[in-house]
Amino acid sequence: MKTLIAISIIVLVAIALVPQIAHAQLAQQTAPEKYLDLRATVWNEFFRMTTAAFTVGAVVSGTMIWLVWRFRESNPKNKAPTRWEHLDDPAAGDPEEGH
Amino acid sequence: MVLELQKPRPVWQIMFSTHHTDVGYLYLVFGITFLFMGGVLAMIIRTHLFFPGQGVLISDSATFNRIFTVHGLTMLFLFALPVANGIGNILVPIMVRYKDMAYPKLNAIAFWMNPVGAALLWLGFSDTTWVSYAPYSVIRAPGPAADMFIFGMKILGISSILSSINFVVTVIKCKHPDMPLRRVPLFAWSMLTVSLMTIVAMPTYAAALIMMLTDRLGISGFFNPWAGGDPIAYLHLFWFTFHPEVYIFLLPAIGMMYEIIPRFSRKPLYSQASGVFAFVMLGIVGFASWGHHMYSTGMDFTTKVVFMIGTLAAVPASGMHVFNFLATMWGGRIRFSAPMKFSVGGIALFFSAGAGGVLNSAMPLDFITHGTYWVVGHMHLFLIGTIGFGFVGMIYYMFPYITGRMYSEKLASAHFVLMFWGTVQTFFTQHILGLMGMPRRVYDYPTSFTSWTILNQISTVGAWLIGASFVIFLASLIYFSAKGKPANMDDPWGIGGKYYYPVAAKNPHGGHSGY
Repeated sequence: MKTLIAISIIVLVAIALVPQIAHAQLAQQTAPEKYLDLRATVWNEFFRMTTAAFTVGAVVSGTMIWLVWRFRESNPKNKAPTRWEHLDDPAAGDPEEGH
Repeated sequence: MVLELQKPRPVWQIMFSTHHTDVGYLYLVFGITFLFMGGVLAMIIRTHLFFPGQGVLISDSATFNRIFTVHGLTMLFLFALPVANGIGNILVPIMVRYKDMAYPKLNAIAFWMNPVGAALLWLGFSDTTWVSYAPYSVIRAPGPAADMFIFGMKILGISSILSSINFVVTVIKCKHPDMPLRRVPLFAWSMLTVSLMTIVAMPTYAAALIMMLTDRLGISGFFNPWAGGDPIAYLHLFWFTFHPEVYIFLLPAIGMMYEIIPRFSRKPLYSQASGVFAFVMLGIVGFASWGHHMYSTGMDFTTKVVFMIGTLAAVPASGMHVFNFLATMWGGRIRFSAPMKFSVGGIALFFSAGAGGVLNSAMPLDFITHGTYWVVGHMHLFLIGTIGFGFVGMIYYMFPYITGRMYSEKLASAHFVLMFWGTVQTFFTQHILGLMGMPRRVYDYPTSFTSWTILNQISTVGAWLIGASFVIFLASLIYFSAKGKPANMDDPWGIGGKYYYPVAAKNPHGGHSGY
């Protein structure tokens, strides 16, 4: 799980940063008189960023919706108590387990 | 107020108490009161914009400016900060196992500065916008409203610094010796982080306010271009304080979700360490991004790139919080009572608002959206979608603790559905309005712009839904605090474990000592 989270964070950072760096390099090479081209580039950038944001958003939102559906207490697959529920305070966890 | 409703005590005893739970109640009552006052202003603004070209409700643009200025100031400084401080006052000493805040009298003084500041803001009813940019606020903004705004903000700022010092000392110096700092509950960590941020950020704005005042008096010309001053300097001072302030509003709501989600998932938090790390990270990178509010002011390219990267650095830390929440829910047995509904809804909207923020932080895109309704939609999606949902969830969570009674779960569900739907409808639509070029802070727009009219009307209907949801909330708070079923104070939601924080509060006036 920790590996999954680490990979996800790295992917998230890459998706967010790579287009920015690419655009920054592109902008430095662009001559100022190409105003219309630059405007088209800006909108291309917008749609690329939107695609990246919506893709990540869809994955995370989809995961959240699935989590809510799968782990709700009324789900027939989820009738058994969690392994922490015998404790005085499940949210505090079991100190012997390291939680 | 198990205490107040079941064993009444004189109001003055609460008002002049220095006990942390009493001061916390005062903050909560104050904050919730101003939530509704600011909400009424929001309803007036949105209803006015439903009818372009007709001047419905607001007859002139100057009044419109005053209304949205006071709406913004109220929601940020008279609702969000006091409610965070209120819940922090009640819970932080208990979480660090100390008898009270470190400086109880200072704590009460910090609270009582709030009504004074609020009176100045509301009686002045300034038109400077909440950002009060120079040169307008220096040269043209009419007095005494703008001067009352300056003094009001000054008093609220001093109050923030005093309460922040109190939180920092309480958590770091007064925590139980057996409790290492890394084990301090994450809500207390969030309050520690935002308090440190406030201490670093707020003095800059305090200085800017004094400079603005002396400029207005004609003594100096720091921001006055006619006197050789630089209005852009004000922007730097303002945003150095108020970009971190965004996190100061946000992090307590995240901390509240850390309280609620494990408890209703019936399992421990996935990772305390990553939560602490993400809070500290956000506390640091919050200071690396103020320039993204000012891309269009003529900064050089390199500076913009630095601020763009500084802004994007908040993404991994925010992602850590979201992943921590999801991993905590994973494998749990979740009961979706009101606090959990609002927390999960808040996470979903936090993610949506964050995605908009990533787009906004990219400087080429920022030029398109700057000064448009996109910004209004983005900012409100954060403030209502994350902070509002976190706070409301926490208020439901603390309802049995404060009143000794249970709210109606059905009405709370109706509140959640209306608020969630309304938030999405209102503020997602405003993003589109911004892309279609509608400027923010406009009193009216041409009726011939049909698409603007339709989108504004959709947005306004969403705002009415949010308004209706808060009417339900207010009615619930009032009715069920007096007539609700007595709560099982050991386990009000029947989720097992202990609803244990109330047990530890010891109010010498008799308040919580009954439990």
